[in-house]
This record gives sequence, structure tokens and C-alpha cells, in this order.
Amino acid sequence: VSYIEQKEAPKREDRLGACISYGGSGCTLKKQFGGGCFRESSRGFCQGSICQLLPGTSILYSLPDTVVIVHGAIGCGGAGNSQGASLRIEQIRKGNSNPKGLLWLSTNLNERDVVSGGEAKLTETVLEADRRYRPAAIVVLSSCVPGIIGDDIDGVAARLQPQVSAKLLPVHCEGFKTRIMATAYDAIYHSIANHLLEFEEEDLQKPLIPDELADATEKVRRSRLVNLMNVSSMTLGDEQELIRLLQALGLEVNLYPVSAHPDQMKYATEAALSISSCPTHDDYFLKYLEAKYGIPYVLKHTPIGIANTNQWLREIAAFFNLTEVAEQIIASETAELNRALEPYRAGLHGKKVILSAGEMRTLATAVWLQELGMEVVAVRPYHYDQFGEVELDKLLEQNSGIPVNVATAHPFEGANLIEKLKPDLYLGHMYENVWAAKSGIPVLPIFGGVVNTYAGYSGAFDIARRIHRILKNPSFNRRLKENVRQPYYRDWYQAEPFQYIRAGGDC
Amino acid sequence: MNNRFLERPRSFCALGGALQTANALPETVPVMHTAMGCGGSIFWNQIGGTGYLGAGYCGGLAVPSSNVQEKDIVFGGVERLTEQVEHTIKLVEGRLYIVMTGCMTDIIGDDIQSVVKQFRQQGVAIIGAETGGFKGDGYKGYDLVLQALFRDFLVPKPQKVKGKVNLWGVVPAQDAFWRGNLNNLRQLLNKLGLTVNSFFTEFDGLDAIQNAAEAELNIIVSDYYGIDAARVFQEIHQVPFVSYPLPIGPSATNDFLKTIGARLQINPETVDHVIAGEQKMYYHYIDRIADAYNDLDMQRYAVVVGDGNYAPALTRFLADDLGWLTELTVVTEFEEPERRTKITGYLDNLSSRYPVELIYETDASEIQYHLARKWPAFTGQKFYDALSPAFVVGSHHERELAKSIGAGHLTVSFPVGNRVILNKGYTGYLGGLALIEDLFSVIVAER
Repeated sequence: VSYIEQKEAPKREDRLGACISYGGSGCTLKKQFGGGCFRESSRGFCQGSICQLLPGTSILYSLPDTVVIVHGAIGCGGAGNSQGASLRIEQIRKGNSNPKGLLWLSTNLNERDVVSGGEAKLTETVLEADRRYRPAAIVVLSSCVPGIIGDDIDGVAARLQPQVSAKLLPVHCEGFKTRIMATAYDAIYHSIANHLLEFEEEDLQKPLIPDELADATEKVRRSRLVNLMNVSSMTLGDEQELIRLLQALGLEVNLYPVSAHPDQMKYATEAALSISSCPTHDDYFLKYLEAKYGIPYVLKHTPIGIANTNQWLREIAAFFNLTEVAEQIIASETAELNRALEPYRAGLHGKKVILSAGEMRTLATAVWLQELGMEVVAVRPYHYDQFGEVELDKLLEQNSGIPVNVATAHPFEGANLIEKLKPDLYLGHMYENVWAAKSGIPVLPIFGGVVNTYAGYSGAFDIARRIHRILKNPSFNRRLKENVRQPYYRDWYQAEPFQYIRAGGDC
Repeated sequence: MNNRFLERPRSFCALGGALQTANALPETVPVMHTAMGCGGSIFWNQIGGTGYLGAGYCGGLAVPSSNVQEKDIVFGGVERLTEQVEHTIKLVEGRLYIVMTGCMTDIIGDDIQSVVKQFRQQGVAIIGAETGGFKGDGYKGYDLVLQALFRDFLVPKPQKVKGKVNLWGVVPAQDAFWRGNLNNLRQLLNKLGLTVNSFFTEFDGLDAIQNAAEAELNIIVSDYYGIDAARVFQEIHQVPFVSYPLPIGPSATNDFLKTIGARLQINPETVDHVIAGEQKMYYHYIDRIADAYNDLDMQRYAVVVGDGNYAPALTRFLADDLGWLTELTVVTEFEEPERRTKITGYLDNLSSRYPVELIYETDASEIQYHLARKWPAFTGQKFYDALSPAFVVGSHHERELAKSIGAGHLTVSFPVGNRVILNKGYTGYLGGLALIEDLFSVIVAER
């Protein structure tokens, strides 16, 4: 609760000691992370990366009936040209025949604004956004420039709130303030907690004559109502799969925060349990919901692959005393799934793989690929914190020396590892996969994509099926390697891959 | 460049434009001196805005970048930059390195030129440009990098070479078709007997770029983009420039070639001969589609939405070559009165004399209101002169506008997220044919 009462969410380096640069064995990472060794780790050679604004907009742009004002220079927020495309495809998949492009504004701060402050321009933008689009909510998203010239976006929002019909949501995503882009999740939850969870007075009015039956029904309903926390990299298929499993337990599911309507967020306070599907995404909010509203949470396993989905489901079922039901679901799902996977296992067995993306997705997928009989030769999570340990432990059980490269993309380290470890397959985050492709190896983007599922049992099947498909004909990347080159000098590939990483922290 | 807030900006920031320019140069490695997220932000914009333009040689998430942090902002980032450049030249192979700043490092006033100078003294080919995002849009970043290139990379050449020209004014990535657009014009200039350096195509090399100062003329195919750089070029290297609006299709390209021919005192017969040959080729193919044009009544009311290059260029082609009815042309930038005067002058002189309504608007959702003011709305009349059949040539933001008026739609101007672009260009005679292919393919797509 104390964090939420502060003006901004703290950066994750401070709150969690999160690590952004590491190269070495998994067991050393585990040991030294506990000692706080990596909080100030850095690199002497860096590549253009991702700041908290990018995951920030990927969540905020998805909110329906919401206009996002990116307060900054003209380029910040431009990721919308890619992120909007994904959101548009999602709308079409949900059956919308006339999908709208997402709506966002840039305050377009210029040299004059840098000198004289951007608050006046922000004020004008908020008022015009409210007048022009009449949205349910207007997000005021702060990027680097307002953070350094000292614009008070919270003050502007508070001052303007009485003048506009939209709910104003100030969100701090100043890129230079943290190296852990996952701080964006906290920043968004911070604003949701402060601005969207209160019920209006008319919502709380009780009927004059109490309806005891209705009250009792509602009480029963809420005892089975859960908050399922989604992430912006989930597909519609992922959400449907996880909802299907929770509904099989007899639970009613509401999804937050991605694509949730701002007016609906407050119902998150009525649930019996909050369920994370990506622990590093949600702890800030779920701990708040527990402290303020008494809603317990599960935040441990990431439902990717069979064993993880089983454990995720078991933990939820245990809370509701539904263990037996869960075991029945698990038994029937896994029996069917294992039969379906049979044709793929031989082809996948022993294939070497490197994975690179967000912490939980990378580690949990690696666990699943090990279950499938593949050999995980290295993992490259975008950051590392305490929530990754559950999955790292599972990897260490199979190979205590597994190389871990904590890096938000930084493909030069990846290129070196690929050259040395010679994987048969690379699973990477959007827009970094090309660097594995140029090494000539087949690539599976580490997400569900437009038509596939990644999470749960159906996701476990899809991952295996897609890897099997991609390995069938790797000609494109093989030819690519023969004809284009990577930008590094040859001797880089013989060098120690982590030589530019500097440890730093409380060792 | 607009000064007010923008709905879904149709441009990179200055750093983004600078990065695209550096990435498009041969054998060149950019080094960003900026916060850690700028690289990703620009790349996400580029993939979805520039017809799936990828990272290329050393772009995307591989761009060397100082990734300055809070402590660098407080204590200054010069030390971090120096270390970054040191490691970059050791690790990343390039024949030219371009340091470019972002918002943070410009605001704290890091002196990058002294860092660059220090490496240049050690023999590294390296230049620097201050391109903080708040300084302007992607077009500005393009101009700033060109200025740095002309100032600090070109070899001084007091002796000019007859028949050598430089060509620019098409902005990499802001124009998704930049390579094709430059290539088409380059080939035409070759036909006039000129040797062309165009910086950003697969036919350009760093040696020719380094010797660009021996050209007798700089040809800028834009009235706006790269003009400041042309002035710097002229001042330092005494090469004059001529600017001509981006030529699309035969009418504009004929005039373009005549203008260049006259300026370089090329024998008019040579110019006429080239034009005649190109026109013959062009109409050979038009002859092939003339049946469909007339049988299927392919004349359209047109709404054109684009930047200072594309809006007038597309309008002229549609009105003067294709015989379309260019009702509304929306220029998505420019508050500067002198630029507005120039565009108005251009569109007032169409050979078709079609009266074009010209407006300046960048917010996609507002364009429909401009159109509603221009064309009387349907109010249940039995006989209604509808804006139909219609076609919208714009960015992918105009998809909704096109749908709302039942018009065809083709994305040409930034952002281009619903097309994949490789080597296609719309300039010149070949470009005109390519554009007709794309426009008419939309019209027959459901047949």
C-alpha cells in the first residue's frame, strides 16, 4: 500500500534488485542474485534497446474507449505503428468487421517547450482530446523529456480532472529513469490503483428493501470470481485457453489489465482471488489488492508447457478446495495432449535451442522445451528478478551449468553465443529474431502470433507443432546467411561473449 | 513541422530520421548517444510505418547506443559516449561511423563534437550530429545528418567534374519507397549522360559519396527536404543546387528532365530524345490498360493525403496523367507560410487545370470533417451527386476514411503498415506505371 501512496512507482532496481546484465552459469546467477550483486550491472558496449515506454504503450494502447497522450517529443509513442497493427488484428479476430486504428496523441514537445515547460501544451492536448473524442479515459503518459524538464503531469491531471468528462490517468514511463522496462507494469498498475478502483457513490447505493436472495446469489458468485491478469504479448487464443481451464474449475473470470475497459477495472476489487499468468508482471498490483481489499493471489507459475500449466492450475484449485477437480482436468487434458504430441517428439528430441525474451516467457518456455526432449543450450531473459527463480530452478535441475545471458536483446551477445553453441533453433522476441536468422538458424517467434496459442495445454501443443513445422524447411534463413553478413568483426565470435558486462551492486 | 499536439504523428523524431539516414548509407554504422529505449521505439515505428523495413546491416536492436542512464544525465554522458565509440569501432565493422544525439543528451548539452574530433584525429572516419527528438521530425534529422556528412566527411574538391551530379530529397524510411524512387530517377539522369551519386541506393558507394564535392550540380527532388543541407553543401563546397518537386509519371518527369537539362546545358535534342523514348515506353503499357480504364470506368474522385513531397506529386500525377478528379489534397505538415505558398503555386499550375482544394491537416480523424465541408453530405435526396466512385491515396491511417466514404484505398505515404515494400518506386515513368498497377489492382481486387 505504501508504494501506491507515493507519487510514482519505484524503479525495479530499487524495489526488487532486478538485474539487467549478466552472463554466466545459471547457478552462479541464482547464488549471487540473492546477494544483491547485480543491481548496478551494466555494459561497456550497448545496443539500442527497449525502455519502459514500449511495454507501457503496448498495454495502454489496448484499453478500449481510451485516448493515450504521449507527453514528449514527436518520436515517443511511435511504436504504435507496430503495436496498433497487432491490436487491429485482435479486433478482427474478435469479430469486429470495422476495426479502428488505435488513437493516441503526441504533445510533440519542441525546443521552445524544453525551455519553457510542456505543461501548457499538455493542458491544451488533454482538453482537446476530451472534446474531440469523448473517451472514457485519457492517459497522460510521461516520457523522458517531461521527466527532465520537470513537468508535473500528476498536478496537471488533478487540476484538469474537474473540467473533463474522461477519467485522467497520469502514468510515469520516463525511459531514462530505470533500466528495467518491467517497471512500466508497476507504473500502469500504480495509476490504475490510484484512479480506477473507487466506485462512484451511485454504484454503492443499496435498495431500500434488501433483496436477500439476490444478495446471497451475489455472494456465492463472488466467492468463485477471479481476476486473471493478462499481458500484452498474449494472444486471444492464450486468453481463451486460460479462461477455458479456469471455467472448467467452475470459476468466473474477469481479465485485467490488457484490453480491459477503464470503467471495469474497479470490479477487480470484488474477486475472491487474483491469478497471475506472468509473476514478474503483476506482483505490484496483486500485493496492493491483497493489502487494501483483502484479495489473496497466486503468483508463482507461468502457464506455459504441460508441467507449468499443471502446477498453475493446482495452485489455483487448492485455494478453492478443488484439488480433485483439478486432478481430473489435468489427467484428461494431459492424456489427450500427450497422444497428440507423439508424432512430434522424435523430431524435436535432442535439438539444441536458445531462447530470448521477457524473463518469465523465456524461462517457462525453456522448461517446456526441456520436457519435450530438446536441449536448452542457453537462455537470454530480458531481465532477472526473484520471480524467475522458480523457473530457473527447474532448468538447473537438468543442467546446473546452463548459460544464462540477461540482456534486453543486445544481439551482439546473442550472435556470439549462437556461433559458439550452434543451436538448431532460436526462439526470440519480436524484432530481434533477424539476428538469429542471419546466423542461418530457424526461428520461432516466442509468442502466439495471429492464429496460434502459446499458453496452457493448447499452447503447449501449438509450440511443439510450430517448431516441428519450422524445422521442416529452413531454406530462407540458410540462404540469408549465405548472402548477408552481421556487422561484427570476425574476432568477436572467438571472444568471450560477456566481456562487456560489468557487475555492480552490493557484492 | 507542426508545433501543436499531433494525432498519431506521421513522422519519426529528428533522431529517428537521423538513424534511418545513417542506416541507409552504405557501409555506415550509426552510434546513438541517447537513452536506452530510443533504439527500440524507432524500430517499432519503422517496422509498422515503413512497409516492414527491417534492421538491415546494423540497425534495429543492433544499433550501437550509449543507453545513458539517470546518473549520466546528472553527471554528463560524454564519458559513456567515449567508451561506447571506443568499443564500437573495435567490435562493429564500418567505413563511416555517425554519432547522433537524442533528447536527453541534447538537453544536458553533451559536447559530442569534441568526442568525434578526438576519434577523427586517431584516423577513424566518424562524424556527429545533434538530433535530439524535440528538435524536429524525421525530415529534420535527415537534413541534419546530411549537413554533418557534407561538412565533415566529404573531401574538399575545388575542381568540379562536368556531368557529375548528386541527387537527394527523398527521405529514407519517411518515404517507404525511397530506394525505388531514387533508383528510377538515377537511371533517367544516367540516360541524360550524367554520373549520379544518390547516397542511399544499392548502386551507391562510400567512395563516390566521399568525392561528392566534385559534382557540378546538386539535384534535390523536393522543395523542402534536404534543402538546408543543400545550402550547407553550396557554402562549403561551392556546388549549386536545383530543387524540383518529386516527379511521378510522365508529365512531371518530362518537366523535371527538361529543367535539369537546361540547368546543365545539355543539348536539348538529347533531352527530347530521352523523353520521347520514355514516353513511348510508358504509353506502350498504358495502351495495354486503356481498355479496362474505359470499359470499367476507372476515373475516380481522389482524396490525396501525404507529406510535402507526396501530396503535390501524387495530386499532379492523378490529375494530369490519369485524368482523376483530385477534389481534396491534404498536406500533413507545414505551418510555414513560405512552404504553403510554394505548394499552392505548384497545384495552381496543373496542366489539367483541375481545381484542387488544398488543406493542411495531420490528424487523420479530422480529415473526414474537411471532406464533409468540401462535399455536400447526403441528406436523403432522391438525386444526390455523390463523391463516388472515389479513391483515397494516403497512409494506412486513411483506411477508415476510405471505408467511411466507400472509396478504394492505397497506402503510399507514411505510415505504411498494410503493404510490404522492397524495390518499388513511384517516381519517373516506370514509377507512374507501378502506381497505376497498384491503384487499378485495388479497383479490380474483388472481381
